[in-house]
Amino acid sequence: MMPMVEEMEHVAAELGKSLRRESLMRAHLEAVEEFHSSPEAVELEERLYASYDDLIARQQAGEQLSREDIQAFYDLRRWVQAHPVISKRDNALGSVKPHLAEVADEISLLLSADYTALARPE
Amino acid sequence: MDVQASPIPVPRALATDPRQAAQALGRLLYQTPDRGVFLEALNALNGDLTVKRLGAQLRSHQSALQWGRDEDGQHAPELARLEREMQTLPVVQEYRQAEAGVRQLFCAVDEIVSQEAGVAFAVNAKRGGCCGG
Repeated sequence: MMPMVEEMEHVAAELGKSLRRESLMRAHLEAVEEFHSSPEAVELEERLYASYDDLIARQQAGEQLSREDIQAFYDLRRWVQAHPVISKRDNALGSVKPHLAEVADEISLLLSADYTALARPE
Repeated sequence: MDVQASPIPVPRALATDPRQAAQALGRLLYQTPDRGVFLEALNALNGDLTVKRLGAQLRSHQSALQWGRDEDGQHAPELARLEREMQTLPVVQEYRQAEAGVRQLFCAVDEIVSQEAGVAFAVNAKRGGCCGG
């Protein structure tokens, strides 16, 4: 017999490990690793986030953004999305998501509640 | 993890299939007091007539605002008033408290799953709304 907390931690870890062993997940993790090994891809994505944060901050400060500002952001986003390493990572995650949803459904069915909605901070 | 400790049988070996591991986790979460309290609070909320009445009024004002039918500017303040009224109801407060408890537990569990899996589990397992995914 094992206390419930300990057992739950053990089972949660086993679930995580079993997911990690799957080929779809391994492909995703390899794609993430490839992304982090590409300074160009990392820098490009950081530029996109910085650009987004900048536009939001300016808008919240009351500035009327120009069409050029917005267009530049969209152009950068397209460039980022088209980067082979980034698109490979994003596609790999996209392939994993339906499987994760099916696995989470197993939990939700038993709980009569949506695990994915309740296992996230509000 | 804040769960009342109660001895339960431990499976000898967990299956390597994530679905079976998920079922084992679901069974454990099912046994927690947090989950029971949450579902009771949810049922009470869904069965409360005042909540139903206020909910219908809220939806009516939200719809008016969504479709731009707010010529006299009354819908937004009325919506805010009804939301405040809703939050003061004991059944709503009890639900919020129960939800916070179950959320804290599930988030702690999910952190372990995610850490081991190498991907944020619940966030990426969430099914899309109207557009699938």
